[in-house]
Amino acid sequence: MPYNIAMVSDFFFPQPGGIESHIYQLSTKLIDRGHKVIIITHAYKGRTGVRYLTNGLKVYHVPFFVIYRETTMPTVFSFFPIFRNIVIREQIQIVHGHASLSSFCHEAILHARTMGIRTVFTDHSLFGFADAASILTNKLLKFILSDVDHVICVSHTCKENTVLRASLDPLMVSVIPNAVVAENFHPSEPPSVPRNMGPTDIITIVVISRLFYNKGTDLLIAAIPRILASHPNVRFIIAGNGPKAIDLEQMLERNVLQDKVEMLGSVRHEEVRDVMVRGHIYLHPSLTEAFGTVLVEAASCGLYVVCTRVGGIPEVLPQHMTTFAKPEEDDLVLATGKAIAALRSNKVRTDRFHDQVKMMYSWTDVAHRTERVYNGISGDISPEEFYGYYPGQDWEAGRDRVRSFALIDRLKRYYGCGVWAGKLFCLCVVIDFLLYVFLEMWFPRANIDMARSWPRKLNQKENNRLAIASKNDRLGPAS
Amino acid sequence: MPLPDSPPPLPPPVPVETHPYRTVGIKSSADPPDPTRLAPEDAYYSALPRARPTSASYDDSLRVLSSNSVAALRPPPAVPGVGRKLRGSSRRRRRKGAWKKLLWVKQSYPDNYTDTETFLDHLQRNPRVRPYDFWPLVSDSTVIVQHVSSVAIFVCCFVGIVQGRVSPVSVVCWGSVGTALGWIFWDSWILGEHAENAHVAERALEGDDGSSSSSMTSSVDPSLRASQKENQMHGLGLTMAQGETSEREPARRNSTGYVGDTDNAQEPASPVPGPTGAVSGVSPNADLSSMFSSRNRQRLSTVKSAFLIYFALLGLSPILKSLTKSTASDSIWALSCWLLIMNIFSFDYGSGEGAGATKFPASLSTNAAVMASTVLASRLPSTTHVFSLMLFSMEVFGLFPIFRRQLRHVSWTGHVLLTLALVIVAGGAVGITLRGGWAAAVVGSILGSILTALGMGGCSWWLISLQKYKNVVTGPWDPARPIIRRRWD
Repeated sequence: MPYNIAMVSDFFFPQPGGIESHIYQLSTKLIDRGHKVIIITHAYKGRTGVRYLTNGLKVYHVPFFVIYRETTMPTVFSFFPIFRNIVIREQIQIVHGHASLSSFCHEAILHARTMGIRTVFTDHSLFGFADAASILTNKLLKFILSDVDHVICVSHTCKENTVLRASLDPLMVSVIPNAVVAENFHPSEPPSVPRNMGPTDIITIVVISRLFYNKGTDLLIAAIPRILASHPNVRFIIAGNGPKAIDLEQMLERNVLQDKVEMLGSVRHEEVRDVMVRGHIYLHPSLTEAFGTVLVEAASCGLYVVCTRVGGIPEVLPQHMTTFAKPEEDDLVLATGKAIAALRSNKVRTDRFHDQVKMMYSWTDVAHRTERVYNGISGDISPEEFYGYYPGQDWEAGRDRVRSFALIDRLKRYYGCGVWAGKLFCLCVVIDFLLYVFLEMWFPRANIDMARSWPRKLNQKENNRLAIASKNDRLGPAS
Repeated sequence: MPLPDSPPPLPPPVPVETHPYRTVGIKSSADPPDPTRLAPEDAYYSALPRARPTSASYDDSLRVLSSNSVAALRPPPAVPGVGRKLRGSSRRRRRKGAWKKLLWVKQSYPDNYTDTETFLDHLQRNPRVRPYDFWPLVSDSTVIVQHVSSVAIFVCCFVGIVQGRVSPVSVVCWGSVGTALGWIFWDSWILGEHAENAHVAERALEGDDGSSSSSMTSSVDPSLRASQKENQMHGLGLTMAQGETSEREPARRNSTGYVGDTDNAQEPASPVPGPTGAVSGVSPNADLSSMFSSRNRQRLSTVKSAFLIYFALLGLSPILKSLTKSTASDSIWALSCWLLIMNIFSFDYGSGEGAGATKFPASLSTNAAVMASTVLASRLPSTTHVFSLMLFSMEVFGLFPIFRRQLRHVSWTGHVLLTLALVIVAGGAVGITLRGGWAAAVVGSILGSILTALGMGGCSWWLISLQKYKNVVTGPWDPARPIIRRRWD
């Protein structure tokens, strides 16, 4: 059954980034599967109002006050009138929010529940529990997710994290990984020809990451001179920019490595592939990572991957494509040495990586699995099947996983958020509800025009059926 | 046998087809299941509260599982091999439980499947918690008590001066006598420490490991002990910012341009900069005699700066007296109250042993105290009053903490005695201020001591009892701490 879905997030094009492309790719594939998808984001510079992207993907750029790094001001209620208008206008049935730092998404989920719309939330990042910022974010997340219908996480580690942060029922959290567009990340040479690596051939190690502390640039800075000292026929290409770039350059100057390490500065996402295919090994020294799409992209380009064993990274790629290291300088140097040796001995068939990655990750698959979540929350799959029952498991089914829209039930769920926070959240929800009643009276639904849907592209099966039907029609009078 | 695509009465629990690529191959390779034979799963599936799915679709699901969740990643065979199929059928029962925490494998479990075995198995709770003990906590709280008591004494002195009960000159005289005594003590300790250091360094040069078990060196940080050959002239227990010989000069230059308090505060602590230090650093055991002369020079410079501050304060006093004439007294009380609270809260209660374990909060606290005493002094009637109070505040807030810290370093008994004395004096002073008369003082000291003891014990007990609420959760989602050996610096 096709749904009308609204993706809501602060982060969308023209800003580049992982979440942005995730939303875009998922929406496109969902449209291909016959759903109607719109995207609601805040207005970017020079981009306000409604835009259409490829495939009839409609984007609402809502003017809103942006405070920090493209995140809107967290006002709890001010988004409601225009959100209600859009939702009614587009006849939305499912609101799908993205990114836990996007206040737009949180507000949308709250209002959507008030309006009686099913909601899904996708978490893209990992958070700790220690520092004050995390505590605040986690409380906010708990507030929003106490009443969400389903949550999607990008890796199993991310799921554990989100379940802990928001005190969720684990069965209400699905793990659906990111994907790559494999066609955009194909290796340079035809994969049928296995390349043989001699003992003196130059091996190029590629690093593409923003040069921040949590991307492990310190490890990189410490490891590069040692790797180059022990392996003379190795070169580095480093793409990306950030506050640690100065440290990196200082290291290069101190060790006089400029002829062996090439610094490219920041590259655009569409240029990433061209940088990657110049290398043989992809080095990823990150300290925390929910999924690590760039690893998949590198493997898809036919690069052997050396990465740290942190966050969700161990789940992403199979053993034969990766060498894992502990987040320690010594171990990283060791792992890189192993990877170089493996490449030199021609043990690694990197030429097959592209096809293998293409089978592992595709956006079509992601859309398919997301669709199952939509089916589950809107009741097209029975709750027993959706939440399942497994032998040997103690999750008692039939706790309120199917979230009812009754205000009293919602208040009960919010009340459990904390001694003070629970009451505060209940207050917010009640005000939100009153606001909704007020809006229904002041701007009645009848006065809101319905938007016309983009003419739906027919999929292959329907096309065939139509073609046969028309052929029959044409043949009918003749015969 | 029902058709594979006929809908079962209830959907099977497991088979959610997530892989779009292999379904065709599976269907073609599915050999007809035997519905009459029991599978091992029947043993517990019959205990399910719901109807077991038809065996055909169930077996189908297993087959999907067995050939689909092949963990090793090979390119998908265009036509599934017969040999693999046979192996798969022998293995498929075991494969049922093989959920893997991997994303790249297409598993036949639904996306929201939660594996009870592996879910949150890397979670750690309170990995690095060190439980507190009662008596060490109580003894550590003495530093706070000392500081709060000295602040209370200062406030009481001010109230006494304002109300005309106490002569400001007598206050500042007693304070100065105390300061001079403290300085003499401090000087002798530093001297003793130097001799000890020279001794240790000598032994270290001889190749002895310097593991002398005297009470002094045991309190000295071993890394400092190792590095003391470079800065021999340096008092090791020093609490001031100048830890290194190279830092000494700029720090001095800064402080001389400052208001007197920091200068004064640092002056006794800062060792003599200059060539003697360097010379003695080269040959540490050769010139004990020159060390004594350098001590003398340092004493001289301390006296000099003391006089400098004395006269600077004397000159500033008339200005300070009329500083806040246009401000209401209420605002002054409120302001000074807040400033003193700020002083108490931002005071550096650490032992000052760790290098660089200061210094922003410490300076904040000192500055707050000086500001408080300045605005308080501006309420006083005469220049003498203002001068006395300012000097007294320098002594209480600038110098006294250094002395206290050193005392705690040197002798624990002295530290406890000083704490006791401070508490009794503060209690008495509060008693006199509130009621007047010696009886009130006695009552105040007794009451103050009891209350302080109760407070120290109570707060320590409270902190320990709060420990059971400590719940630090760590797991693979926390950013890793990189371990880097800095060899390239």
